[in-house]
Order: sequence, then C-alpha cells, then structure tokens
Amino acid sequence: MGHAIEAVGLVKTFVKTRSLREILLHPFGRAERIPALRGADLAVREGEIVSLLGPNGAGKTTLLKILSCLVLPDAGRAIVGGDDTIHENRVKRRIGLVHSDERSFYWRLSARENLRFFARLYNVPYRKTEARLQELLERVDLAAAADRPFSGYSSGMKQRVAIARALLHDPPILLMDEPTRSLDPVTAIALRDFVTERLCRDGGKTVLLATHDLREAEAVSDRVAILVSGRVRQIGTVAEVRRWGVRDRVYRIEVEGWTGALGGPFRVVGDGTEDGLRRIVVAVEPGTSLHDVLAAIVATGARLRACDEQQPDLEQAFSRIVGAESDDA
Amino acid sequence: MSLLLLKLWAFVQRDFLSEVSYRLAFLMQVGGMFFSLLAFYFLARMIDPGSAGLDGIPPFDWLLVGLAFQYYFSTALYSFSARIRNEQVIGTLEAMLVSPTPTSIVIFSSAAWDFTYGAMRVVLYMLFATLFFDVRLDPGSAIALALGVALTLLSSAGLGILSASFILYFKRGDPINFLLSGATTFLGSVFFPVEQLPEWVRPASDYMPIFWSLRIVRGALLKGQALGELQGDLVRLGLLTVVLLPLGLVCSRYAIRRAKKDGSLIAY
Repeated sequence: MGHAIEAVGLVKTFVKTRSLREILLHPFGRAERIPALRGADLAVREGEIVSLLGPNGAGKTTLLKILSCLVLPDAGRAIVGGDDTIHENRVKRRIGLVHSDERSFYWRLSARENLRFFARLYNVPYRKTEARLQELLERVDLAAAADRPFSGYSSGMKQRVAIARALLHDPPILLMDEPTRSLDPVTAIALRDFVTERLCRDGGKTVLLATHDLREAEAVSDRVAILVSGRVRQIGTVAEVRRWGVRDRVYRIEVEGWTGALGGPFRVVGDGTEDGLRRIVVAVEPGTSLHDVLAAIVATGARLRACDEQQPDLEQAFSRIVGAESDDA
Repeated sequence: MSLLLLKLWAFVQRDFLSEVSYRLAFLMQVGGMFFSLLAFYFLARMIDPGSAGLDGIPPFDWLLVGLAFQYYFSTALYSFSARIRNEQVIGTLEAMLVSPTPTSIVIFSSAAWDFTYGAMRVVLYMLFATLFFDVRLDPGSAIALALGVALTLLSSAGLGILSASFILYFKRGDPINFLLSGATTFLGSVFFPVEQLPEWVRPASDYMPIFWSLRIVRGALLKGQALGELQGDLVRLGLLTVVLLPLGLVCSRYAIRRAKKDGSLIAY
C-alpha cells in the first residue's frame, strides 16, 4: 500500500513581529525567527487514520497548512497524493481540509448556499452540483436544516457543514484540524464514528487528524504521531506508543493465600484488597514470560484466580515522549 | 473560460444573497442615490454653464457622469483590498484558498459583485437622471462608450489588484488607496474640470485613468462624439491599462508567494 502523505525533513520558521519599541531601538536589527517545524518527517498510508498529537505550539497546524498548500516550507518536501505541494493545483484536488473554526462560512447564508458557493471553487460540475449538495447534506444529516441560515446552527451542525464542504470534490485525503474542539461529548463521539465508519471504513479516505485530545486519538486512529517542538517524536499504533519508554510488562493478578513474598525478576508494584479479593500488580522485566510469573506465585502456595495485562497509560506515554524531547533539547 | 465565468457568477450570487439579507440597508442605498442626485441638481444650478472645461455640457449632466463613475472607479480601487481583508477577518479566506481555485482567481473574483453593483448604480443614476432631472443622453458611439467602460474597468481593476497585493502582504496600510483616493477626485475631472486647477498641476491628470474614462464617457454620452473623435483618449486610457493591469497581476503574484512563505496569507 502506498503513502497518501509523506513529509520529509520539513522546516518552517516564522518571523516574529517586532514591536514599535524594538523597531525604534534597533531600526536595522533582524527580526527574530520562531521555529515551528524543525525537520518533521511523517508518512501516512492510503486509507489510514493517523492522529497528529502534540502540545500547544508543537507545529501541528503548521504541518497541516503546509500539506494543504497554504504555507510554503523553508526546507524539506511534502508529498500529498503523489504530488509535491509545490504543484498546488494537483494537490488541492486531492485534499479536503476540515477547519475547527466555525467562522469559515458565510453566516447569513444557509448551509446549502454556502456549499453551492464552495462547490464552484471546488470545480464540482455545474449540472451535478445540486445532486451532490443533497447527497452530502443527507450524508451529514443536515438535509432537513439545509436551508436555514448558518448563523442559527449549533456547533455540531456547523462542524458537519465543514465536513460536507471538505467532501464536495470527493477527495481521497482529508486533513482535519481539531474537528471536535468546540463540540459536546455526545456530538464529538458521533462525529468520530462518522469519520471512522463512513469516511474511512466505507469511503476509503485517508485522514490526518490534528488533535489535543488523547482519548479521541485513541478512539479513531490506526496510528498516532506525536509532534513535539516541530519534530515527529514517535509514530506507531496506539499500543506501540503506549509502550514507549516502558521496559517492563505489568500484570494485575487476583490471588488467594498470598504471603507477600516474591523473588526473581519480578517486582510487586501494587498490592490491595478489592471486593474481598486480593489483587497484586507485578512488573515483569523483559525476557521473562507471564508463565514464569504465574509459576513463581503458585510456588509461594498462593492460588490464582484471574490475571490480565495492564496497558500503559497513553497520557503517561505522551508525557514521557514530550518530556524526553524537552530533555533532548 | 466557462469555468471562470461560473466562478465569477458564484461570487456575485454569494454577495448578492448577503446584501439582500440586509433588506433595509439595500433599499436605503437606492434611496440615497436619488437624494445625492437631487443635491447635485441644485448645486449645479449655481455653476455658470460657460465655465472652463465644461465644453458646453450642462453643469448637472457633467456632474452626473462624474458622480456615477467616481463610485464605479472607487469600487474598483477599494473592493479588491476590502473584500480580501474582510475574508481574512471573517475567516473564509483560508477555506477559499485551500480549494483548487488559484489564489489569483479568488482575488479577482472577490470583487465581482461590487463591479456588478457598481454597474447597476451607474445605470440607475442615468435612469433617475433621465426620468426625473431631464437629462438627455445621446450616445454618439456605442462602441466608444463600451470600449471606454471596458478600459475603465480593466485599468481600475489593475490598481485595485495592486492595492489588494499590499493588503495581502502588509495586512493594513495600503499606499495605493492612500495616494489615489484623494488624487482621483482632485485631478480626475470628477466634480470639477481640471481646467479650474493651476496650470502646473494639470499634467498630473494625464496619469489618472479616471480622467480619460470620464472624457470618453462624457464625450460619447453627452456630446454625441463618434469613435474617431474619442480615439486619442481611448489610446491613452488603453496605454494606462496595459501598464496597470499586468503590474497589478505581477504584484499580486509576488505578494501571494511572499505571504505563503511568511505564513501570513490568512493572517490579518
């Protein structure tokens, strides 16, 4: 399977606006440049949903803007749908950008009028426009409200119009910038389901989704990429990223007759009673199997009741990755 | 070509729908046009019909053309930059620029409604003037008039696109509008003939497209002049158009590239 999006060594700095005082004090001084991307590499396979996670200022929006040809990189290359972003028109035909900004519509027009206007800009064939609008409005469940002014829509409805706009020309690649930012939890879940089920699983779209929300990333993504200080620090499945920086495997085991003594390459990192059951949490060093742990517990005279592996917490993994990048810097 | 026309039509439709959603304001603008004509009618009665530069045209008729076309010319000058700035502020510019429509076409089309509305205003002014103020329009050469209007449109669009380029790059502070907004009224023979100005100032009028536009329109519409008589003015306006339109397009291309490089294309 080929790559729908490839970013190689992307570098972008922005010029910091100088205050009047700075200009007066140093009229010939060079303006400070603020790095947004410092060599970002990313590859997204066709049909995949990749979440781009990162703290504020990590460069997520800048990366999306470069991929959507709104900003030119200082160095590096971005290839979208097989074309370098310098071939703007070819790339733009293959992408749809979903903004988080509700203001990106004409509020005095209805959803249908807004979409009709953007359909012209997206080169939707004139004779097919009305049918396409109706199809999309139905797809985002807005057909009944399509002729009401946009200003009267809820945040969830506005976001659905934004998705319909990004789909006008049926692009294979969708770039989404915090699409659930202003939505309530129920609407956000519905939107995530729409993206994963109808756009990706049924529609075969590739989605690159920038978000702050770790739970959202976990819920929708095939893989997550963590962008820190302008570089992609980690990319992998959610399970892989969770395990980043974690050496030991951790098991939660329910036991009876536990004496509290366990030797060998195991550490008991938690011990408590819950609902009358003794639960111990055991960290196991690499190279040791679950069988060895269980055998060692049985050898102490305790009886096993249940056992499951505890997945490392995604938030902690995120903190570790962000922290490691800060230490490197 | 048809794709470009469809895009232009989409911009016209969009802005028309926005405008008519403010119904009262729309009606008041039309009413305002009538009252400004009324004011100019009485003002013109104070002017000596034999004043230098009127070329035998009745003062009100002379002022009518200046008034109607001055709005059209300022529309061209302001609307590109104002529309781009407005789209930046309301947040719709990014949504347009991420579409496969080239940025230059987005800028060019953004003023389509303003031009349409400007043309409607010119027609309405002329209609009011003939119906209520006894003005006689006598188009000597429809071709000269059409050419004059087309060249006015293109030359002023050149200046307007140049002005929009400054807005794209500097966001605020547009020297083109600053320099031309006063100068066109002052040197363009809009509300008084340049013959009324000191002699040393008059040559500056030669570089004002509106000066030639108004000469052509007044000549064709009020004096019944033929194409041959207006040929010299048409050539001069054509020359200014040949310089201004490509200059505007080149500058806008440069401004877009710089703004993309700086990452400030959609900032305001």
